Amino acid sequence: MISRRDLLRISGFVGLAPRLTAFGQEASEPDYKIEIAATTLDLAPRQALKTIAYNGQVPGPLLRFKEGRPVTIDVNNRTDRPEVVHWHGLSIPPAVDGAMEEGTPAIAPHSSARYTFTPRPAGFRWYHTHTMAMNDLTRAQYGGQHGFLMIEPRENPAPYDQEFFLALHDWGGYLLASDDGAMNPSYTVATINGKAMGSGEPLRVRQGQRVLLHVLNSSPTEVHWIALAGHSFRVVALDGNPVPTPRTVPMLRLAPAERVCALVDMNNPGVWVLGEVRKHMHAQGMAIALEYENKAGGPQWQQPPELLWNYEQFAASAGAGAAAAGHAADPPTIIPLVFDAKFQGHGAMETWTINGASYPNARVAPLVAGRRYRLQFINNSIDDHPVHLHRHSFELRRLGGADIRGIIKDVVLVDARTRMEVEFTADNPGASLFHCHQQNHMDRGFMMLFDYA
Amino acid sequence: MFLALAAASFSSRAQTNYEIQVYGAETVPPETLMVELHSNYTLDGQKYVVDGVYPTDHQEHETLELTQGLNDWSEVGFYVFTSEQDGHGVQWVGDHIRPRVRVPDSWGWPVGVSLSTEVGFQRSAYSTDTWTWEVRPIVDKSVGRWYFAINPALERTWHGPDVSQGIGFAPSAKISYDFNRVVSGGVEWYADYGAIARLGPIHDQQQQLFVVTDLNVSALWEINIGVGIGATAATDHLIFKAILGRRFDWGRHSPID
Repeated sequence: MISRRDLLRISGFVGLAPRLTAFGQEASEPDYKIEIAATTLDLAPRQALKTIAYNGQVPGPLLRFKEGRPVTIDVNNRTDRPEVVHWHGLSIPPAVDGAMEEGTPAIAPHSSARYTFTPRPAGFRWYHTHTMAMNDLTRAQYGGQHGFLMIEPRENPAPYDQEFFLALHDWGGYLLASDDGAMNPSYTVATINGKAMGSGEPLRVRQGQRVLLHVLNSSPTEVHWIALAGHSFRVVALDGNPVPTPRTVPMLRLAPAERVCALVDMNNPGVWVLGEVRKHMHAQGMAIALEYENKAGGPQWQQPPELLWNYEQFAASAGAGAAAAGHAADPPTIIPLVFDAKFQGHGAMETWTINGASYPNARVAPLVAGRRYRLQFINNSIDDHPVHLHRHSFELRRLGGADIRGIIKDVVLVDARTRMEVEFTADNPGASLFHCHQQNHMDRGFMMLFDYA
Repeated sequence: MFLALAAASFSSRAQTNYEIQVYGAETVPPETLMVELHSNYTLDGQKYVVDGVYPTDHQEHETLELTQGLNDWSEVGFYVFTSEQDGHGVQWVGDHIRPRVRVPDSWGWPVGVSLSTEVGFQRSAYSTDTWTWEVRPIVDKSVGRWYFAINPALERTWHGPDVSQGIGFAPSAKISYDFNRVVSGGVEWYADYGAIARLGPIHDQQQQLFVVTDLNVSALWEINIGVGIGATAATDHLIFKAILGRRFDWGRHSPID
């Protein structure tokens, strides 16, 4: 049973009330200022691209918040379209979460707004636009409106000497006929931190350092696989949440909007390539050099022979997870969510449904605050879907036909024609958007609002 | 292709339908071989030998087309034409080779564009013009459920009566509609106007209209079925056509490619 005190806390009414106000009504200086405006991005020598970005840079500025300490961010929209900034992975009220579907007010063209909220939970989060692109493959998440957001924990999950933030992104979108019989976005350039291989500064390290990588896939639609030649990753957190069982892996897989935090021991001096494992994506530029101190020469790449990744390896060991999760023994309320596509012609992108209906008609019964829910993702389509639940985190509970525990995420990739189950506690009242994080899918109906009773 | 052969027979009024297809702009991917069998049966066609060319009436044509993707924007096709008919048995008719290039998708053009050229030989018993050359621009566009394609082909005879004709004009076009993910239906139009410098009278032109269906059962398979009527005296009056194609990916692909 949730207490009134808990209800007040999770509603955000303890401490500074969260709000989004018109700029100018606040006299105090904000903690951060973000300007949304057009900029020219040099992806590579002789390859510039005009896009919309935060503070004229891609990714936008790194925002560092203290968990539980209220922050204010002034956002100035200097574009000709309404904008909104979504604080991805935060448990904050819908008025400031940054999704107009939940009720966050849009920032009108050439106007400003102030976001005020108390950031939590700690971990590697991010912020991005939450607008629609439809057929314009330069807008919304196809553009440059994304940035890193780190909510500092009281204790770091792992000691490290140096940290790097890396954003994977795809640019130059165009529609291509796909094997599924519909049109889908494809891209001409792929970058890390807005630069194609050879056009950005290398990651500079020293031998013996332990480096913490915070990797974000900000791509509008593409899954990415990342390896670092000569090194391996020790994954310590997924979507900013520490994993029960850190593992050393040869590569990382990130679906759109997913994040991975991984430690890398700098024990193999040289100049190496950190980049996409798949050759065609690597060739499109998704790579960056990692350079040891006092080492020179061309960066070396070692092509992995196969793709290796699964979520299960980071789950709690049998028996440990239930205790760690600390949830009540009462069975959760089960909500089946069936994903499917509607064919719109070989010359169009598909539309998407959840339980047979597209947004805004897709609905389920209102959530009851404090209750535990199990979402059954039933993906009947032939596409993978990185689904995201706003303002809540969920625990992976069943995938590949096996029960697991302990992995807390806010985005999870549901493979084509598979099922997956996750659980979450309805501990943050207010409208909460659930959607596929592929821009073309959410644009075409793959969204649903959870309401609280 | 069809029109190349048809035009080659223009002076003899013969009908030679070996590959009845409006090309789309897409090319076969690299390391992929497309194998197609074109089966065309003339139910009502030319009934007499004209200029030494066998009549087309009740001729069954089987054409094997092999198309190899070279890279993301080019391919080369090779044809083996055969004919089966009472009194003549199964006969080899000729061969053509057809390189093709296209505008890559990444250029972001609003329509698909490619350019095909085709050179080949056919026996004089099946076409008075034996050596021919065709240049075929291809423009296509998918808009929602609709598909449009046009092939304004230009042809030149290198050996045969139509050498003096100069460049011939043989356009074709297609409009189809996707009823669902698998079944599309539409019409294909094939024409041959003769010399582009002095278009022939309607009586001598070839005009054919096919009602077709495309069955998109899989990315590996291509199925096209249709029935066509000829609208002029120089055109076969009733033809059934079918195309069955299968892609074979012979490259050693792995998920990292």
